[in-house]
Amino acid sequence: MTEVLAAIALGVPSTVVVTALAFAMGAVLGVPLALARRSGPAPLRWLAQALIDVLRGIPPVVWLFFIYFGLGNDVVRIEPLVAGTVGLGLIASAYLAEVYRGGLLAVHAGQQEAAEALGLSPGTTLARVVGPQAVRVALPGAATYLIGLLKDSSIVSTIGVTEMVFRANAVSRSTGDGLMPFLVAAALYIVLSAPLAWASRSLDARLRRRVAR
Amino acid sequence: MSLLADWWEWLPSLLRGLLLSLEIAAVSIVTGVVVGMGLALAVSAQNRLLRAVAVVVVEVGRGTPALVVLQLVYFGLPSAGLTLASFAAACLALGLTTAAYTSEILRAGLQAVPQGEVEASQALGMGRRDTLRYVVAPQGVRIAVPALMGFSILIFQGTSLAFTISVTELLSRAYSIGSATFDYLSVIALAGLLYLAVTLPAGWFVRRAERRMARHL
Amino acid sequence: MSAHAPPRPGVPVSLQNLHKRYGDHVVLEDVSLDVAAGEVVAMIGPSGAGKSTALRCTNLLETPDGGRIVVGDQVVDAGAGVSQADTMKLRRTAGMVFQSFNLFPHLTVLRNVSLAQERVLGRSRRDADARSRELLARVGLESKADTYPGRSSGGQQQRIAIARALALDPHVMLFDEPTSALDPELGLDVLEVMRELADEGMTMIVVTHEMHFARDVSDRVVVMADGGIVESGPPAQVLADPQHERTRRFLRAVMDR
Repeated sequence: MTEVLAAIALGVPSTVVVTALAFAMGAVLGVPLALARRSGPAPLRWLAQALIDVLRGIPPVVWLFFIYFGLGNDVVRIEPLVAGTVGLGLIASAYLAEVYRGGLLAVHAGQQEAAEALGLSPGTTLARVVGPQAVRVALPGAATYLIGLLKDSSIVSTIGVTEMVFRANAVSRSTGDGLMPFLVAAALYIVLSAPLAWASRSLDARLRRRVAR
Repeated sequence: MSLLADWWEWLPSLLRGLLLSLEIAAVSIVTGVVVGMGLALAVSAQNRLLRAVAVVVVEVGRGTPALVVLQLVYFGLPSAGLTLASFAAACLALGLTTAAYTSEILRAGLQAVPQGEVEASQALGMGRRDTLRYVVAPQGVRIAVPALMGFSILIFQGTSLAFTISVTELLSRAYSIGSATFDYLSVIALAGLLYLAVTLPAGWFVRRAERRMARHL
Repeated sequence: MSAHAPPRPGVPVSLQNLHKRYGDHVVLEDVSLDVAAGEVVAMIGPSGAGKSTALRCTNLLETPDGGRIVVGDQVVDAGAGVSQADTMKLRRTAGMVFQSFNLFPHLTVLRNVSLAQERVLGRSRRDADARSRELLARVGLESKADTYPGRSSGGQQQRIAIARALALDPHVMLFDEPTSALDPELGLDVLEVMRELADEGMTMIVVTHEMHFARDVSDRVVVMADGGIVESGPPAQVLADPQHERTRRFLRAVMDR
């Protein structure tokens, strides 16, 4: 069992890297998407909504295939790791844009009005008044998404990234054992997500203490 | 426009794949929600053993990627004596995943029913089973419906992973055509559009249901 | 108001040495209260005094840490652990009306009143519905029978809630601030129904802020503060000439509103 575990654990770095990079990409790109969706000229708002709907409406593995086999073959040569990370990152930006939108909507309209009455510029209002409060609401949703993204990173195994599931499949094929490698992989995912879940809960508690004064 | 000509040529095969995807999704969702309801009740049961088992099933079901569950069911179960064909394996795997996630959704719905009504039911002398059956469950399930529908859309998307266990659903057919024609881009694009043809209207329907729900409460 | 069912004699209630605490916070401190059959007791006092807790212990919606509860011939000792069967029997004898009505919004008014009759008393649907219509007529709301609770005003919902509790033929009625969530005008109809119940000989324990009700309808006023009973006596005496400083302070604050 330990050889199986060691072989599959070799995939942990890839899993973590894909998850982290995709989340970072999504967290950053989600901001302009959310802002465009919320306050922009009508065609821009419509475009942002369409982008979000299309990114979330097509299964992630289909997006990965589109990027790796589609664009990768016909347009430009792409590494599996890059294709996987970019694909998941784009999808993450759509989901996180919705999480941000929820956070922005949760901020009392009165805050915006007060900021305007004080003569603050829209940029300052967003950065100093509305934004921080929106982040507080959005953080739990973003944390939940991150935990989900850890599991979704398994999908990049289908385009050849040598992360945990890829290696579990390899071990399974070479040993002929269809049960143990995948049980080990499942256990590893659960173990990896535990610190994230714990961090999310303590973050929740700390935020609630701060706000409830 | 040879692209459209190609699309027209590939459409029948892809549509057959789409149909299979929908079938897997339907079976998984229906069986998964029923089991999920059982799990939701078991997680708050009085019997400590039942509670512990249910919690473990839910946490493992939610903590394991769907792709891994698919591999486990298709490649792993034969060692435990149960060999399933691809379609059945996909339905079982996605059904288990559905059960684990929907049990949490349903539990949240049941808890959302005002505690005051539960107290009123108890004060009237109704036992736990009657309170659940007549007061809590009817309202709790109704509250959970939009979230259940949203999750169903995700399960439909999840059927695309079944190609890894040789199910000839939509994505696998697109990939076969792509490897035959060496033109993956256009056929996968068409497959993507077909997925959108289901998920976009479904998503709008769910949002409308959410709005209607919010108005009633 | 309309056809009256034959008056049902109430039974006596006895709360003996009730103790209850949440962590360090003592909610009930050796509370004892004897209510005679057909007596109407109004419980008043500041928030957090333990009035609602004492009331909810009476039908075991809350379980006291220690003490004894006697309703009619049902005796329950809290310390020894209470069985589900005993709890059910107790709840069948005592009906409760809540501050927030707690009607079932997904059932019609008629079904709200009939459901427990069928499930708890085993009445047939036809008998239960007939009795429900009788009771709804008695509180003046028979026309609402086939509508949903959401279509009725707060005062109407509370009267429906009273009908629902009466449908089980209780011998004691417990009211937990029945009019606190209502506009004063809507509350009048509810108080009128409660007055009629009292006239028919029902044993009633009413936690309330309505001093007029306490003065005009109740036989006895019990003042609670800080988890204990501070004063108890006829309304004329307690409300007009209270003996204890705590009562005086409370009444001053209430009257000044």
